[in-house]
Amino acid sequence: MKTARVIYEEGNRKWFAIVRDPNRPEFIIDTNEYLVVDGDDAILLDPGGSEIFPAVFSAVSTEFDPRKIGKIFASHQDPDVVSSLSMWLEFNPAIKCYVSWLWASFVPHFGGVKETFQPIPDGGMDIMLGGHRLQAIPAHYLHSSGNFHIYDPKAKILFSGDVGAALLPAGEEALFVDNFDRHIRHAEAFHRRWMGSDRAKRDWCARVSQLDIEMMCPQHGSIYRGADVRRFIDWFAQLEVGVLKG
Amino acid sequence: MANEQDTGRELRQIVRINEEIKSVVATAFKINLMAMNAIFLAKRAGQSALGFGVLSNELRRFAMELQKQMSALREMTYGSVSTVTAMVKQVRINRVLDRARKEANGQGKALIEEFLSRRRMSAYSLHQAQIAAVNRRLAQMIADTAQLVELGSVLARSAKIEAAYGGAFSASLMQVSSDFEQTIGAIQRSLETLNRQHLQDTRP
Repeated sequence: MKTARVIYEEGNRKWFAIVRDPNRPEFIIDTNEYLVVDGDDAILLDPGGSEIFPAVFSAVSTEFDPRKIGKIFASHQDPDVVSSLSMWLEFNPAIKCYVSWLWASFVPHFGGVKETFQPIPDGGMDIMLGGHRLQAIPAHYLHSSGNFHIYDPKAKILFSGDVGAALLPAGEEALFVDNFDRHIRHAEAFHRRWMGSDRAKRDWCARVSQLDIEMMCPQHGSIYRGADVRRFIDWFAQLEVGVLKG
Repeated sequence: MANEQDTGRELRQIVRINEEIKSVVATAFKINLMAMNAIFLAKRAGQSALGFGVLSNELRRFAMELQKQMSALREMTYGSVSTVTAMVKQVRINRVLDRARKEANGQGKALIEEFLSRRRMSAYSLHQAQIAAVNRRLAQMIADTAQLVELGSVLARSAKIEAAYGGAFSASLMQVSSDFEQTIGAIQRSLETLNRQHLQDTRP
């Protein structure tokens, strides 16, 4: 089963990383889910695929009443990101799902009704949580053509979806990156192949460089902290992307 | 878990019955074209096929009634496929929830157990009601269609008798009415199979 690890806590605001499922079948990619709580208000970031719902639900319920999750954010439309939507709606049919307007009529194939979906315009938007705002930051074409990340100005955390993702071998699945140079080797091929646009990449690097980020949390692999965040942005800015072989 | 097994069995039955309905529908659509041909032939035969002409007009009316009946059957097939799809989805959700129940501890386990048991009870009674409604509609539809096809069978037999008085056109008229009889016979056999299967599936 996955575990919920607290990665930030101050006042009512808490960030949980839902990570590492030892029972996950090998053919399903490992994913990180993040639960952001502010008092009784909670948003689940990239809740994952329906196959891993039992593991995510169990981990979440050790820390928070799953019926109180009122918001779901989907960075993009992939099944490993949001195909569990219908399962979460079983527990709270009033959940609002925030997703790029581009995918707002595609993601309903995973479940939900018209009122479930809150389309995010291309320029991004604020999502209120417990009276504080989270920002949906544009990350289009990285890798999906309608793609967003979430920045929490209070916690100084950036949820970066597939950007920063690493496919880690067994035994190197630490929660936080502890050796950037060793870690980034497991991220390189993924970024070269999956990130389709060099211009989009440069735009994103410029955009997130303006933000004060203490932690960068990808959907796969370990979390970047402190100076490793800047290291990652610089590394990504230099990387040639959108190529078949690296 | 017994409820889920029942659902699986009933879903397979509905799918099997739908396949049989499709074969009835496919055969029945031939009838309309055959009735048109019979009318043209009777007109060509003129005075010598007046009786056959009356019957071919009746067969055409029968063909149109049958077509209406088949459209209703097709709509019912679509409706039952929607019911099946919704049930498959419910079964799948229950399976995932059951896995979550096994993995969860403490508050999460209690929450999911309560939710799952409530969900199963309501889903099971809804499912029973839907299945019963589909079965009732289907039984009525089979009975109505069988009655209509029986009338078609009588018409085809009478047309065969009238064909014997068709003079120079007798052989062609005989051929048309034999085709009718055979096609209606095929529909009757399909309906009997459908009825047998349905009775077998709905036996308690």
